[in-house]
Amino acid sequence: MLKKHPLFTFIVFGAVLFLLSNRVDELRVFQGATVAIYVIAIASIILLTGYSGQVSLGHGALLAIGGYAAALSRNEWGAPVWLTFCIAVLAAALGGYLLGLAAARLSGPYLAGTTLALAIGLPSIANQFTVLGGEQGLLFDIGVPPTFLGEDFTQYKWFFWIASLAALIAIYWLRNVMNSRYGRSWKAVRGNDVAAELAGINVGRNKVLAFTVSAGLAGLAGALLAMTISTVSPGAFPLALSFSLATGAVLSGVTTLGGVMIGAVTLVAIPEIVDTVVSRFESSESVANNLPGLLVSTLLILTVLFVPNGPVEQMRARHEKRAKR
Amino acid sequence: MIQFINMLLIGIGAGSIYALMAIAMVLVWRSTRVINFAQAGMALLSTYIGFELVQKTGNFWIALPLAMILGALFSALVEILLIRTLIKHSTSGPVAGIVPIIATLGLLGFIRASIGFIWGNQDIQIQPPLSKVGFKVGEETIALSPMNLLVLLTVVGMVVVLGFIFQKTNLGLSLRASAYSPEIAQLAGIRVGAIRTIGWAIAGAAGAAAGLLQTVNGTGAVSPDSLEFSLLLTFGFIAAVIGGLESLPGAVLGAVVLGLVLAVVQIYISGTLVFMVAFALLLLVLLVRPQGFIGSKAGRRA
Repeated sequence: MLKKHPLFTFIVFGAVLFLLSNRVDELRVFQGATVAIYVIAIASIILLTGYSGQVSLGHGALLAIGGYAAALSRNEWGAPVWLTFCIAVLAAALGGYLLGLAAARLSGPYLAGTTLALAIGLPSIANQFTVLGGEQGLLFDIGVPPTFLGEDFTQYKWFFWIASLAALIAIYWLRNVMNSRYGRSWKAVRGNDVAAELAGINVGRNKVLAFTVSAGLAGLAGALLAMTISTVSPGAFPLALSFSLATGAVLSGVTTLGGVMIGAVTLVAIPEIVDTVVSRFESSESVANNLPGLLVSTLLILTVLFVPNGPVEQMRARHEKRAKR
Repeated sequence: MIQFINMLLIGIGAGSIYALMAIAMVLVWRSTRVINFAQAGMALLSTYIGFELVQKTGNFWIALPLAMILGALFSALVEILLIRTLIKHSTSGPVAGIVPIIATLGLLGFIRASIGFIWGNQDIQIQPPLSKVGFKVGEETIALSPMNLLVLLTVVGMVVVLGFIFQKTNLGLSLRASAYSPEIAQLAGIRVGAIRTIGWAIAGAAGAAAGLLQTVNGTGAVSPDSLEFSLLLTFGFIAAVIGGLESLPGAVLGAVVLGLVLAVVQIYISGTLVFMVAFALLLLVLLVRPQGFIGSKAGRRA
């Protein structure tokens, strides 16, 4: 079904989400919106790492560019909501292009260190510019849901709709890009860049392009994230966010888009699980503060040790092996 | 004039701590071809252990070497338990290049969260063992205190000892041979696995010294989410890259250059620009001279 009629599947999936959003409570709707945002952000990392072999530990910084661009365009020029998201994508893509120019000349650990440095230094860079509002950051208010949706249509449901729609469009589009000439070129570059070059692929240009597209998606995720918390500030894009997203990508499996939901749902579920554990056992504050980080990093280490390609890829490989016998 | 001298002193003082971190990163990179992003976490853990030891013994001079030894043991343990398994599991495939990076990142998060569990997320305070008031030259107080002097002497001492080990002993020869070519070293009868572990252990000791000295030289306060340690990791990495990531003298040189540049920015321009300048320097070096100041073109393998 998914293979033959992807568009149809995506529409059905969207309809199911729509029906679900009417049935569950506010908290779940908000978490749903967060999952949708993480899906976009993780997909952008998967695109970069899994399909073009570059690794970025500083995706939080690209999300921040998107968030700030959206908030600025809304506050300064009063741009309509849909336009702020477009501006966020373009601004982050531009940032990603510049970073990509440098990145294309760097290999693995150098790029990882550089992007990590960017994520660590992001707050101090953001504080340099008064237009970005310093520690407090900027407000980003997308306004109340349109009236034709009814009286009892809540703000969170509106967030959920926007985020889900954006995620569905982004993943559908990304899926098509992956199967296009560009996607195949990226896979070739990842597989063996010398061979790719011999096959007539411009390796450098393709890496920069992959970085640009990935950054654009990250910018979209950043604008959506800013939307759900109504502000953009350096504190909204901490180093922990970059780490979480990298973890989400690894849990999803960086070589395929198929598992993107796994990472996104896990990232949202972990704080929820911790809350349950803490209230059940009436644990101390230090448990509540540190358990999420401990779970995320333990999962990360276990995943790279035992299923480095991600669970989906692992299952597929096992399935293929069995089919061969 | 006094401002210029102070700038030099501040730059060299800061640079010497970055140098320890850079040395740790270079040692790990040479022995296993991994950039250890968990180095900040390991240094943090050693600092907390140092704090406990100061509490127990009441003496910083016993705590520092003990913390370094324990840091070395922990680092060796990480190499044996985590890195060995990783390298064995993932020698090929599309993710082979990123797996160690992600793993050390996971380790960083793991160590930070564990420290939060054990010691809580509030700041702990380590008393500086020496005065932090600068020496007086005539009327002026210069930016060199007994504490700074201790840091400098420790770093110089470590560099001398490491230089001696690397140049004059069999162990150093084995370390250099394993870094140059693991296969050839193995054929020559060197137990490359053990040598790698030793490389990690020395790096752990250097990182422990960096963490403890930075803390007592600074505010004396540490927390698991300490930004100072993230910056220490970043500046250590930048210093190591400036030095070419392969050479120990390069790492020290890179660290001193970084320290001086940042001191110039801090004193003559603005303290808030420090990070941006460091980042710009990193990009500049990577784009213009990716093999670093010291190091040949072929040296940059990844």
